[in-house]
Amino acid sequence: MKLKIISICLIIASISCKKEKKADAEPLPPDTSKGTLKIDFEHLVDASPLVFNQKYVSPKGDTFQISKFNYFISNIMITKNDNSTFAEADSYHLIFHSDPASKIINLVNVPAGSYKSISFMLGIDSTTNASGIKTGALDPAGIAAGMYWTWNTGYIFMKLEGISPKSNDVNKSIQYHIGGYGGVNKTQRNFTFSFGLTTANVSGTATPYIHLVTNLNEVFKTPTLIDFTTQYSQVAVGSGAKIFADNYSDMITFKSVQN
Amino acid sequence: MFKISVLFLLLLFAFACKVDPKINSFLVEDNLTEMVPAGWPQPVYTFSVNTISKDKFALGRVLFYETMLSKNNSVSCGSCHQQFVAFANADHAFSHGLYDLSGRRNAPAIFNVNWIPLFMHDGGINHIEVQPLGPISNTLEMGENINDVITKLQASAKYKTLFKNAYGNEEVNSQKMLRAMAQFMGLMYSNNSKYDYYKRGENYVQLNPAELRGYSLFLNNCNSCHKEPLFSDYRFRNNGLQVNVFLKDSGRANITRLTEDIYKFKTPSLRNIAKTGPYMHDGRFATLEECLDHYTNGITNQVNLDPLLQSGSIPLSTQDKADIISFLNTLTDYKFINDKRFADPNLK
Repeated sequence: MKLKIISICLIIASISCKKEKKADAEPLPPDTSKGTLKIDFEHLVDASPLVFNQKYVSPKGDTFQISKFNYFISNIMITKNDNSTFAEADSYHLIFHSDPASKIINLVNVPAGSYKSISFMLGIDSTTNASGIKTGALDPAGIAAGMYWTWNTGYIFMKLEGISPKSNDVNKSIQYHIGGYGGVNKTQRNFTFSFGLTTANVSGTATPYIHLVTNLNEVFKTPTLIDFTTQYSQVAVGSGAKIFADNYSDMITFKSVQN
Repeated sequence: MFKISVLFLLLLFAFACKVDPKINSFLVEDNLTEMVPAGWPQPVYTFSVNTISKDKFALGRVLFYETMLSKNNSVSCGSCHQQFVAFANADHAFSHGLYDLSGRRNAPAIFNVNWIPLFMHDGGINHIEVQPLGPISNTLEMGENINDVITKLQASAKYKTLFKNAYGNEEVNSQKMLRAMAQFMGLMYSNNSKYDYYKRGENYVQLNPAELRGYSLFLNNCNSCHKEPLFSDYRFRNNGLQVNVFLKDSGRANITRLTEDIYKFKTPSLRNIAKTGPYMHDGRFATLEECLDHYTNGITNQVNLDPLLQSGSIPLSTQDKADIISFLNTLTDYKFINDKRFADPNLK
C-alpha cells in the first residue's frame, strides 16, 4: 500500500516536472503568418532636413527658425493586393521632431502578405476626443502633455513653434497649435498613399519600411500662403485653425517602400 | 452582572469602530449603485468602463478634497464646491483660487452630472472624466498642471494605498485618478427633494397650495428651458442679461468661435436652487427674487437673445413670483446635501 502511494506520488511529480521542462525546451515556433511593418517620417523643410533653430525661408520668402514640431498620426490602415485590410488596434502615435524614435512607427502582428497602400489620419478622431481620459500616446499627463486643451476639450493635432523676424509678436515668436475635432472647422486630415508598382511584403521574417516625408513648409503654403507678420499665432480652434489644417493636408508625402 | 457585560460589549464595539477613523471614513461607503430614476432620460455617462467600487469611490472622494491638486497645495475641488450648498460656492459670485485670485465665473453646483452633455458655463469640457482638468489647469483656480499633480500623488504614501485599494496596484496615472473622481461625482445623485417625494407619491408628501400654484406657473413659464426632471435642457442660451462690460464674457462663443453663440451660457439645473446662489454665470443676483425680477423687468435685447424671451418679459405678478419661489424651495434635496458619503473625509 505504502509503495503504491509512493509510486503514485512519484508519477505525479514526474509528470508535473515534465510539463515545465517541455515549456522551457520547446518554445512555440515563430508565427510566420504575422510580421512587423515600419513606417518612418523624414522631416524636411523643402529639400533640407529639419534642424531645430536653423534658418529656413518660408514660401512667402520670410526667414524663420523652428524650436518645436509635434503631430499626431492615428487610425493607420494598410491594404493588401487582394484589397483585404489591416487596421492597427488602438492606433494613436505622437511624433516629436525632438525624438527620433517617435518618427518610426512599428505596426506589429501584421498578417503576412503584399500590401499596396496605406492610409492614416493626421490628428485624432472625434470619438476619441470626446470619450474621456485616455492612456499611452493620448495621456495628457504623459506622452501627450502639452498636446491637449483642458478648457476646450480636445487634442492639439499639430504643434509648431519657432521665431521669425517678420513676426509682430513681442518675442518674434511664431506659434501654431492646431486642433478642433468636430464641425465645420475640424482639423483632422486623412492621407492615403498607394505604393505604385511596388508592394510592402510582410512576413514572419521580413520587415518592410514605408518611407514618408513630412515637409514643414507645406504648413505655410497652398491653399493659403502664410504671412508671419499677421499670421504669427494660431492657438485655438476655429476658422483660423482650419486654414492651417487645409495647408497641412498635403504636408506628408509618400517616398518609397523598402523591402 | 449581565448588564455590565452588555455595557462592556457595547463599549468594545464603540472602540472597534474607532480603530482608524480616517481610513474608516473612506470605507463605510455602501449603496454605491448606478441608477436612472424613474421617468428620467438615459444618462450620457455610464460606469461601463469605470466599474463602481467602494475603493474607487473612496479614492475619488479623497481626491475631490485634495489640496495637492493645486499648485501651492492650497485649494481643493471642495474649497469652491461645498456640500451644504449642493456643491456650489456659498455666498460667492466668484470663488477664491490659489493665491486668493478671483475667478471670472460663478462656481456651478455639482449633482446629476451623468446627464450633463457639456461642462462649464460655456460647455468647453466635453466629458466628466476630463472635467477636473479645467479647474486644475486654470491659472485663477488651481494653477497646476496635471503632470505635477500625478508626480505629487505618486510621492504620497496615502495615495499609494488608496490607488492600490482601488486598482490593485500603486501606479498613479491620470486615467485612474480622473475615473475615480468621475465615479465620486457621478454617484452624486440628487433626486430626493420634496418635489421628488411628491412626484413619486412617497412618504405621503404633498405640496402646499402656494407650492402647487408655483409648480403650475413654473410649468407654464420656466419649464421650456429648465426642463423637468433634470430642471435643465443643458442647452446654451442668452437670457437677456445686461452684458458685464468689465468681464466681456462672450460665453459659448469662447469655445465655438461662432457669432451665433455670443453671450450664450448653459441653462443651469434648478434642483437645489434655493441653496446654490448667487445666481447667473457671473453670480450677479444674490436672491431668487432678483432672478425672477430679471425675467419680468430686466431682460435686455442683446445679440442672440433667446427666441423664447423675444417678447422682452415673462409676465408674473408679485404673488406669482412668491409662489414660484415656494415651488423652487421644494427642489432642495436635504438627503443629498447631508449625505455623509460625499462629505470631506478630512473633517472626521
